[in-house]
Amino acid sequence: MKKYAANQITFLQFVFILHGSQVGTGIFALPRILAEKAGTDGWISVILAWCCNLIASVVIIKVFKKYPNDTLPDLLIRLFGKIVGRILILPIIVYFAFMVWNILIATMLYVKGWFLPMTPDYVVMILLIVPGYLVASKGARVLGRYSELVFYMTIWLFLILIFAIKDSHWIHLLPIVKEGWLPIFQGVAATIYPFLGFEILFVIYPFLQKKHLAVRGVVLANTITLAIHLGITLISFAFFSPDGITEYNEPVFNLLKVIEFHFIERFDMVFLALYLFVVTTCWLPYAFGAILSTEIWLGKKNSQAIAAILVVFIILLILLTHPSWNESNKWTQIINQAGIGFAYLFPFLLYIYVGIYNRFQRSESK
Amino acid sequence: MFALLKFLLGWGSSKYSELSKSDSSSASSVSSELSDNIKHLQQFFDLTPDLVIRRIQMEQVGTAASLVYLEGLVNKDLINNNILHELIHRGAIDNEIPEVSLGSVRVVSKWDDIENSILQGDSVLFINGQSKVRIYETKGWPQRAVEDSRIEASLRGAHQSFVETGSQNIALIRRYIPNQQLKIKEITVGERGKSKCSIIYLADVAHPDVLKELEKRMKQIDVDAVMNTGELAEFLEDSPFSPFPQVILTEKPDTTASHILQGRYALVVDKSPTVLITPVNFTTFFQSIDDYNARWTIASFTRILRFFALFIALFLPSVYIALISFNYEVIPFQFILSIAETRARIPFPPIVEAIIMEIMLEMLREAGIRLPAQIGQTIGIVGGIIIGQAAVQAGLVSNIMVIVVSSTAIASFIIPIYDMGATIRLLRFPMMILAAMFGIIGIVCGAIVLVAHFVSLESMGTPYGSPLAPMRFPDMKDVFIRIPLWGMNKRPKSTGAVQTFRQGHNSERGGEDS
Repeated sequence: MKKYAANQITFLQFVFILHGSQVGTGIFALPRILAEKAGTDGWISVILAWCCNLIASVVIIKVFKKYPNDTLPDLLIRLFGKIVGRILILPIIVYFAFMVWNILIATMLYVKGWFLPMTPDYVVMILLIVPGYLVASKGARVLGRYSELVFYMTIWLFLILIFAIKDSHWIHLLPIVKEGWLPIFQGVAATIYPFLGFEILFVIYPFLQKKHLAVRGVVLANTITLAIHLGITLISFAFFSPDGITEYNEPVFNLLKVIEFHFIERFDMVFLALYLFVVTTCWLPYAFGAILSTEIWLGKKNSQAIAAILVVFIILLILLTHPSWNESNKWTQIINQAGIGFAYLFPFLLYIYVGIYNRFQRSESK
Repeated sequence: MFALLKFLLGWGSSKYSELSKSDSSSASSVSSELSDNIKHLQQFFDLTPDLVIRRIQMEQVGTAASLVYLEGLVNKDLINNNILHELIHRGAIDNEIPEVSLGSVRVVSKWDDIENSILQGDSVLFINGQSKVRIYETKGWPQRAVEDSRIEASLRGAHQSFVETGSQNIALIRRYIPNQQLKIKEITVGERGKSKCSIIYLADVAHPDVLKELEKRMKQIDVDAVMNTGELAEFLEDSPFSPFPQVILTEKPDTTASHILQGRYALVVDKSPTVLITPVNFTTFFQSIDDYNARWTIASFTRILRFFALFIALFLPSVYIALISFNYEVIPFQFILSIAETRARIPFPPIVEAIIMEIMLEMLREAGIRLPAQIGQTIGIVGGIIIGQAAVQAGLVSNIMVIVVSSTAIASFIIPIYDMGATIRLLRFPMMILAAMFGIIGIVCGAIVLVAHFVSLESMGTPYGSPLAPMRFPDMKDVFIRIPLWGMNKRPKSTGAVQTFRQGHNSERGGEDS
């Protein structure tokens, strides 16, 4: 029954997998997107988004409370039977795999743009994806250890941004709610992408050792993410002028450029290179989700082969398409739409369905 | 033990069937006729000039007997004074075989027991008219005295190190842990070599699953002979293709005892002066027995220094290569100028320059090991001063590269366990190549590979990365800093110790008035 018992993760690993999957490449453009939609009140959108995340996560946990040893694909098979369940798993695999693809493409484009402009895109992708293969092919426990270790290794990167405060003008933030609440809500909708990640809960929940801590874990993970997002947004808003911020594509980079030490002239380069660690903790949970869902779909355990296929598939796809920033942005739009559906609406539908299903079954057994 | 021996013999019989035809009678019993037995022995040990068959006529009993042993493997004093003398001269009561003044005597009747015992250095007494023989433990071969360890020099720790005799090594460990819970499990490894391996552990502390795993792996080993513990380690490791060492090999009994007390298993292999310790974590390789012997502030400083050295040894050459050939915008302008000045005459790209120096250094190190200490010093002078100085003046390498390479070398030698230092030295080569190809992105991707591999490694089924991955905060007391010993009341979780507490809550620290 407990088929995931041998691969359980601790509370903190659970927290850091969730948190890691939320903080990725979306963070660089986040202040600009917020400023475009909600002006300098964008930081309120961040807090609202945090609330939405929490509600959706709690609903997901509520759904799985009745099935503590099921991942989402397991649950779908349980609820809808083998054939319909498998058809429903397919979009989930595609969602996770597409998320991996999108994060990796964005990372690859950043790396190409900032470090290796002459290197072919597939070579950069091999550099990025091969280290991940070592984790993705191993299962939840290794993923948990990895996310946890990388969190402790890289958390100081975000603290470095505090150095930018000395050039900030907090007056930019005033007056609060100057354009009413509507733009703020629009800001929430437009920033789905940087906040996505908690939907990985669908697949890692059964691996959590102490299930009663799940809600606490979700709150903690989302709060760490909130702290990082909010900090970056506030510092960017205070640093750039309210009009100037929208002129930069990735304001966080420009913010980093200002930070300089006696011994390192361009700290932003070091930051970006080390940020690759953070990015791996973002796409690896999705890769894990895609691999696990495929395993359940196929009905057999062979994560190494599936991970290898995923890796080869992504590299081949790059060779064929040579994606650019325009395409990447388009895909992000799609992910945004899909994310709203999958991470925010789907849990509610599932919750209602499970409720009806249980009542129906109970009455049937009577 | 003998059942196991027999099991091993029977197990290998298919492989060595044609070789072991001659001893097909080995499983049979001894006959009561002395001459038959001697004939059998002479057949079995043909072309064995060091086999001694001493025929004696026991004075009091009157029966003929023969003492058989392999010359050179036995202690002659024991044979002459304690066995032969007693057998010939001392009187017996009731026509019994006289007892000899010797510690260990066994009575057996199976040929393979007898043959094995002779090969191991015991002597066997055949008596006419008896189908039982006596085996006297008379092992004694050329031995080295217990000396100070040469590769694991310690500052204040004990200066004894293991020798080539398994039983003596066990005694050296037992001196540190005279406890009834110190258990020893014996397994024989090797078809021909028949090395006696003893797994030593504290039965109420060490995790039983690890023992099960260790025994399982040891029984699967199917080799001719095991010369050294390092060979055995290769068969026991979880991931043989990993660059990281997954067991600790030590020469020191105090280190071994300290690991056993923490809940680990020690494996003493007869004939090898190194002891294998498992399961281990990555951070264990940065702990030295001297750390517990020094004041905790000093020890903590040394610990941090070692981890810092790890990063220097792994990344310094590659970061230097990346910064001067790829990402020069990262370093301050003044510094670039001074680097450019020293590099102006160098005909090679930085990676070639670095590899020349690194290979040179590795050769110097390897040459130093094989040479006697006096010539070793000469090598140091030739290598360090003459080649280093001359290479810079000749314009082959830059001054800064010499500094980088030599600090890397120093850093890699700080790591207290040689195997880990060697691993780090090896790992910096792929790092340098990555840095030369992709700059700091290459280094970071290499580091991600290392971290990813590190978190998935296991040692005997326990996580190798512990207490870093999985993060175990209670164990952090003994990783980057070593807190005072009275604060370490619990054994490390990483070893999977089943008995958590190792000392009482003696936290009252004596106030002003007491």
